[in-house]
This record gives sequence, structure tokens and C-alpha cells, in this order.
Amino acid sequence: MFTQASPLRRLSSFVGISVHSSLPQIDRLQFSRVRCRRWQTTTSAAAEPPPAGGHLSSVASSQFLCTTRDSALRTPGITWADEDTHPSSPQNVIGGRETRKMNMYQAIRDALSIVLAKDDTAVVFGEDVAFGGVFRCTMGLAEEFGRERVFNTPLTEQGIAGFGIGLASMGHTAIAEIQFADYIFPAFDQIVNEAAKYHYRAGGQFSIGGLTIRTPTMAVGHGGLYHSQSPEGFFLGASGIKIVIPRSPVQCKGLLLASIRDPNPVLFMEPKILYRSAVEQVPIDDFKLPLSRAETLLPGSDLTLLTWGTPVYHCESAISLLRSPPPALEPLVPPSLRSATVELIDLRTILPWDVETVVESVKRTRRLVIVHEAGMTGGVGAEIAAEVQKRAFLRLEAPIRRITGWDVPAALQYEKFNMPDPIRILDGIMETLTY
Amino acid sequence: MTVPTKDQGILPTFRSPIVSELRFFNSLTSEQGQIPTYRVLDGVGIPVEGAQLPEINEEFARRLYEHMVRLPTVDNVLYNVQRQGKISFYYGEEATIIGSAAALAPDDESLKLEIGQYREMGVLLWRGFGIDGVMAQCFGNLEDKSGKGRQMPMHFGSPELHFHTISSPLATQIPQAAGVGYALRRDPARRHKNVACVYFGEGAASEGDFHAGMLLASTIPCPTIFLARNNGFAISTPAHEQYAGDGIAARGPGYGVDTVRVDGNDILAVMNAVTEARRRCLASGRAVLVEAMTYRVGHHSTSDDSFAYRGRQEVENRKKIDNPITRFRLFMESRGWWNDQEEEALKSRLKKDVLTALRKAESLKQSDLRDLFTDVYAGEEPWNLREQREELGALLRKYGEVWQPWQSELKRFKDGGKKLME
Repeated sequence: MFTQASPLRRLSSFVGISVHSSLPQIDRLQFSRVRCRRWQTTTSAAAEPPPAGGHLSSVASSQFLCTTRDSALRTPGITWADEDTHPSSPQNVIGGRETRKMNMYQAIRDALSIVLAKDDTAVVFGEDVAFGGVFRCTMGLAEEFGRERVFNTPLTEQGIAGFGIGLASMGHTAIAEIQFADYIFPAFDQIVNEAAKYHYRAGGQFSIGGLTIRTPTMAVGHGGLYHSQSPEGFFLGASGIKIVIPRSPVQCKGLLLASIRDPNPVLFMEPKILYRSAVEQVPIDDFKLPLSRAETLLPGSDLTLLTWGTPVYHCESAISLLRSPPPALEPLVPPSLRSATVELIDLRTILPWDVETVVESVKRTRRLVIVHEAGMTGGVGAEIAAEVQKRAFLRLEAPIRRITGWDVPAALQYEKFNMPDPIRILDGIMETLTY
Repeated sequence: MTVPTKDQGILPTFRSPIVSELRFFNSLTSEQGQIPTYRVLDGVGIPVEGAQLPEINEEFARRLYEHMVRLPTVDNVLYNVQRQGKISFYYGEEATIIGSAAALAPDDESLKLEIGQYREMGVLLWRGFGIDGVMAQCFGNLEDKSGKGRQMPMHFGSPELHFHTISSPLATQIPQAAGVGYALRRDPARRHKNVACVYFGEGAASEGDFHAGMLLASTIPCPTIFLARNNGFAISTPAHEQYAGDGIAARGPGYGVDTVRVDGNDILAVMNAVTEARRRCLASGRAVLVEAMTYRVGHHSTSDDSFAYRGRQEVENRKKIDNPITRFRLFMESRGWWNDQEEEALKSRLKKDVLTALRKAESLKQSDLRDLFTDVYAGEEPWNLREQREELGALLRKYGEVWQPWQSELKRFKDGGKKLME
């Protein structure tokens, strides 16, 4: 119903002007002027801050987190490691399986302890991992598995990556940690020139599939230039590695276990603001979630909203703002748009990404908004937008829009104006719906 | 003379004694001199007074010598081939390699692991890689197991011979070698049996990865031999523009690594030094650094004319007075293990072998054109690679016959690229 109306006609219903559909050129001009005026006249009205809590779904109250055992055990795409050995046994047997409430760092620790317990060659190393890690992801692992398997390295990122490559080249499982994704650049050469090309240049004779590099990523509220970055886009051209970014404890455990066991080197980027704030029921068994598969979190028919990591929750908030805007925003959210249904997709794997799910969705909704924290120019959004416009050109009813960090470094005191927050996402959704 | 006074004690996190005399230092030797170079044979193959010869018999000495002589033979042939434009690139080698290869691979040991730099072809040949394997890689033909024709010439690799595939970025394999060493230490089957050994030039030691690798192997620690070949030049840059300190060896103690400097043109000295380095490495489970002092008599590569930055006469002189092959030959002759006749026979046999392998390699087609796209990822082929492979196939079907640059190139491949076009 909604998608069938022309954008201008729909716009006219809430800005109070009549649009003559036979004069699209003029209409477009008129439309933009009206739109400008609308924003100018309403800024003062929106000056008061939104009420604390309430309408904004924060991470803690997100409906995407598994609050019950049953929802955790029924996570889409989950496969249990113990079923792999019995192909005849029915899939997704959840009877008798337990879950435990965990935040994201606990889920990571849980995944690492499973790997260390099952795989004698597995080692975990990096800066400060022996005492538990600066984000507690390796708490107690050194005590449990010994310092030969969980150990500190000197402060050298290129060394950590190179050391991991060497270990993995011997068929061992090397789980390296780079303390912040902001500090992965000294290892760029080792990752791009060595890790990504290792299997190819050796004619498939040598493999470093056992290598996984974990690193905390994305903004944290006060990280400034070097504790906030989302460098996934820099690695897009490094064909040969995989890049994975989870959104929650269940996702983190399942995707990390899959990454560690994937036959390719994987860059696993953990949104650090979620380490403590994302809490859910996590299956305690050994399981994995598929790489290179996006997950549709909310079905919709009017617009596809694609993101990964922390902004998943900002997107969720934006959708709820659209559906039921708080009083302060009400004048800015036209009633005709509130019934629009937004399809929210968590991309999860950045490289190689799930083009099929994204394009299928966009062909249905005809509109795409991509949200990521990294800057726009050269970001992952650019890659996806180019591919989608190629595959869904005739279906698109609006330009693909990217809502990203600005093309500036992550300035400390300006973070709220730099990150793609719910209001920017809401605005992008509305602009795209009314194009 | 500064004697630490006991009552002044030591620093809380350091065992350094406290002294009252202000003294700077810039040498590891007490006399402010340079680290000495260990030598067994002098320039004319006579054992240096007090030097211990490694235990080698005539047969082993002949094997060493044959491998040493084979390197310049392969070198010369490939060098000339490159000049004719048949292969795209070629690096020279250092005869020094054979001594370390022999020390690393005594006959009772079959498992070893090296991570190589460009010039370590000799290690592979010592281990039985075969001259056909060398030629296949250099020509990138369908017998190239090292890399399916994907890498430039001289980028060898062989899991069976425990030789990790060479890559062009300098020094990247140094921290990797620490990881390899650690894997060996953790493997019950290879613990206390095998070491990792990484070769690199003095120029590569300027890279951050050298620093990283030495640190990792010393602190974690990992049984890894760091074998620096200091040949005086990194392309045109003389060593004195590479570092101001006492070579690479002077850095070892800074990392807490047992270190030795050896005459790299003396194969017996290299053998002794690497044998002992290996023993220490295995015994302590820690890193050991060996700096072999050599001189690069050839050009850096075929893209390089080294007489642009050093005198022809200087090179000629070095070839005469400090030639590692001549030195060892004189030693063998002094024992009655070698003569001119055998020299001629060996040289013509080696040359014949190389030329035979060359002709064979030249005649073979390139690998499967589909291999442009395989092995990027292990496991499932990603959609982008699949689509791009199909796109190239479609383009070849359309233009392969009519676009001359592709037409002639396709003929070089095994099936003319037909499988890719399917």
C-alpha cells in the first residue's frame, strides 16, 4: 500500500501542499523548497531534549537480545558442534541444552575456553591478555589453561600478527588480540600482504586458516581519535581474509567459534561498547553461526536498513522513533510515514558479505539505507551501495543513502555529533521514504 | 672502574647496580671495540690456528662443494635467460647458505623448518627440491608447485621440505618465524627436536618486523635461529647507511639473545656456528642470532647494475681474495679430496643438468588459467570471485580469438583457457 504511492504524493499529504504529478520537474523544485522551510521552521520546536529513557530502546532493553533460554537456543542459523559428528541426528535439538546470562565479554571468554579445551594447539595471545585483558575477555583463561597457552606478548602489533601467522602456518590455532582496532595499522602489512595472500601465493600448499585476530572496535562514548575507530573498510580489498562483526553475546560466541574454525584467517571486530551493555541468555554448549550470512532482524516492506555492530541498536531506536515518535519529535515525523515498515538487516560478515540477502531485500523494499560508524568516503557502505545499485537498478525508488561518521577523525568532545545516532538514522529513513 | 656500592642497592624492577660515575657506552665489548668474527679457514683454505674443524668426511665435503658450485651455475644460466627476456626477474644468491643448510639438516634429521628470504634457493636444493622445481617456479609453468605461477621467480616454497613460501615484503617472515618456533615448541612430536630458522639480509633487519621478531622470540620465548646475512649492500645502500652500530650482531644482546658473528664466506665456520646455534636454541628453547659477514659479488637483481654505485675492481678483488667456493676448494685440495679434473667434470655435469631442466621448463605450458581465481579463500568460493571468474570467461569467449594480446597469451596456458571459458 505504502510503496505504491508516489513519493511526492505522500509528501504532499503531510506538508500540506498539492502536487501536480504531471509536472515532475517543477514539483521536485517545489518539494525541495518546502522541505527546506519545513526543517527551518521546526528546528526551534525540537530544541527541547527527548525524555530520558522511555521511547529510545537502549541496548539493555533491545528486543534483539535473547531474554529467554528458548529464544537463545532458537537463534536463527545456529548449529551445534556436537551434532556435526552425527549427521543423522536431527538438527536444532534443543532439549536438554542450557543457557546462561552473559554479557559480550563473558560470551567471548566462554567461546575461547571452549576452543582451548577442545583444541590442544589453540593459543591466545596479545597485549595484557594473561591477566584477563583490558576488557576482561580472557579472564581466568591463563589460570585455567596455563601461561603456555594464554600469554602476553611485547607491545608490537606487527609482531602479534606475524607471530600468529607463523603459528597458524604450522596448522595451529592462533587467536591473537589487538588491544584496540585503532592500533591494528602497524599490523596492516602482515594482514594485507601476508595473511590475506598466504594461501594463494603458496599455490594452496600452506594455509593459515587457524588464525583469528580479535580486536575491539567502534565508538565508546569518550574514546577520541584512537579508541573509537571502525577500520573494517580499510581491509575490504584484502581478499583472502574474512571480516566479522557481531552485535550481541549469542552472536559473538557463535560467530567467534565459526571464525576460529574457518579455514581462512579472520579479523573479528568486537564493538567495545557492547562488552558490558549487551546482556542475554547464551547457550553454554559449543555452537556456531554462519559466516558470510546476514541476518534479517525485522521484516519490512518499505525500506531496507542495513548495518552491523553497535549501530544495530541505534537503528532499532530509529525504527521505534519512526513508529511512535515522542512528543518533541512528533511534528517532525509525518503520520503517513509512521506506518512504514523497515526491514532491518545485520550484515555480520563484512568480507565476503552476503550480497544475496541484501539485494533480495532491496528488490522488495526498493529503498536502502546503510548505517556504519566509519567515515563515509571509502567506507564499506560505498562498496555495498555500488553493488546494490548494479543489481537492483530498476527496482530502486530512491538513491541509496549512507548514514555514517563524517569524514573526520573521531574527535573526543564531538562524538554525539559525529556518530550515526538514532535521530540521524530516523532522518535518513524519512528522507529516503519521501524521495 | 666503577664498583657498585652495596648500600646503594638496585632499582625495584631492574637488576642494574647503582653507580656514582656517569659513563656512556656504545659497544658490547669492554674495550669499546667491535664484535669479533668467527673463522675456521683462512682465505686460502688453511685452518686458522686454534680453530676446531667440523667433523666432515670426504664424501660430505664433496656434497657441500657440489651444492656450492651448483648455485652459481643455476645463477648464471637463469641470469642469462633473464637477459633474453624468458623469465621476468631473478635474484642472486649467497654460497653461505649451504653451510647453514648443512648444519640445520644433518642426515639424521628430516624435519626442519626455514622461512626464507630471496637468496635461500640453496637450502631447498640441499634438501632435494631438485633443479626442475627451481625452473618450474621461475617459469611459472604447470609444474610449479611453489605457487602455481602466481609469484615472481625465486619465490619458492615446499611444505614437504619444510620451506615456507617466500614472499617479497622484506622481514615479514621474521616475526612469523617466532610463531613457527613456538608451534614447534608446543608440538610434542617436534619439541626439542626442531628449530625454526629465518634468513634475512642486513637491510631487512632495518624493518620493524626484525625488531618485533627478535622481541617475540626472546620474551615468549621461541626456539628460532635468526640468520642475518650481512653482505654489505641492500640494493645500492651500503651497510654504513643502513646502521651506525656494530652490525646486526650488536643488537642481539639488547634483546637478551645469544649471538655470534661468523665469516660468511667460510663454510666450515658457518657450519660450526649454526650447529652450535641450533644446539643452544633447542637446549634453551630460546632465540639465537647468527650474523654471517659476506659480500654480495653479484648484482642485487637483474634489474640492478651494481657498478652504478660501486667499483668494478672492488668486486673483482673480492671475488679473488674472498671467494667462498675457492676457499673451500683449496681446503679440499689440501686434503687430496679434489682436483682440476674433477672440477671440470663437475662443472660440465652441473651445467648440463641445469640446461636440461631449463629446456624442459621452457617447453611446458603455464598452469590452468582458472588458477587465477583459486586458493584466494579455502573452502567455499565467495560470490564475488565466482562472478568475476565467470565474467572473465565470458570476455574470453567474446574476445579471446580476436583481441591479440589475449590471443597469444592464451596459447601459453595448458588448455588455452578453455576450462575458464566453460
